[in-house]
Amino acid sequence: MAVGKKDISCPPYVKGREIELEDLKEKKVTYVEDHPDIRYSFTAGQAISKFLKGLKEGKILGVKCNKCGRVMVPPREFCELCFKPINEWVELKDTGVVETFSISYIDPDARPLEEPEIVAVIAIDGASPHMGILHKLGEVDPEKVYIGMRVKAVWKPEEEREGAITDIKYWKPIEG
Amino acid sequence: MVFTEKIIDPRELRHVEGKIELYWIYTSGEAGDYFFKKLRDEGKFTAAKCKKCGYIFFPPRIYCEFDFSETEYVEVSGEGCVVAYAVAYYDKNGEKLEKPEIYALIEMDGTNGRIIHLLGEVEPEDVCIGMKVKPVLKPKEEREGKITDILYFKPA
Repeated sequence: MAVGKKDISCPPYVKGREIELEDLKEKKVTYVEDHPDIRYSFTAGQAISKFLKGLKEGKILGVKCNKCGRVMVPPREFCELCFKPINEWVELKDTGVVETFSISYIDPDARPLEEPEIVAVIAIDGASPHMGILHKLGEVDPEKVYIGMRVKAVWKPEEEREGAITDIKYWKPIEG
Repeated sequence: MVFTEKIIDPRELRHVEGKIELYWIYTSGEAGDYFFKKLRDEGKFTAAKCKKCGYIFFPPRIYCEFDFSETEYVEVSGEGCVVAYAVAYYDKNGEKLEKPEIYALIEMDGTNGRIIHLLGEVEPEDVCIGMKVKPVLKPKEEREGKITDILYFKPA
């Protein structure tokens, strides 16, 4: 007998099969079920609310810290480096530079997409370096995207805008 | 004021509403199924005895967790004694209960196992540790093979 091996028998294997939907429907097996009603409301807060309102008007709004001078987007109420409340809004251009990107071939449910989507962080022109928002790229082949590519926002028509990040349809490369 | 232009009207503050879909079914398992069907159909309590060491599990198990050997079902009376209890004056939502509920840990006679259930037909001040109790079941036609088929335990 191997060192440490105990004289124990194997756990008995239960005779049977997997439970099927029929067993539950016909109450062949006992069970408990529950359907908890979990609802939530997530508020965007002062800064993002105004940012989203700006999108509806076709503007990208940022904030400026008057201590360190950084121009930040998405806007926030406090400068996280100076621990200082912010009180200056700035309007930024709807152009920028691809900071980083990723090509997605599947949707959030892991189903294959017909056309791959290009997700990118775009550093907005007029904001401090590396300040950017996560969005999608369009009108470009995935193979042709590169870091540092100049892009411009493609907005929804004004009447369709609802004050959401999707008011920008995608970002397309600027020629040249 | 932090922002020079602060949003005062709460309707202008954006929010996103969501709902988390959760739906689950928890089956009783081999031994649990036997226990609940016996309770539902015959109103009897079942425990499981290890064929090797003789430990009696309640609720029943399909195998002994000490020496991995098979168990056999044994019928028990369902009576037991209170080993611990707590009196609840508020429900799970924090609302005051009209009548306090007594939750007790009951050691089952003839087994090594215990069950948590409600006590009834007794005032909170009269409950004591070591009190003998016996189960009160729902009428047979109302039983559905759940732990709530036992309404409560009352002093024996």
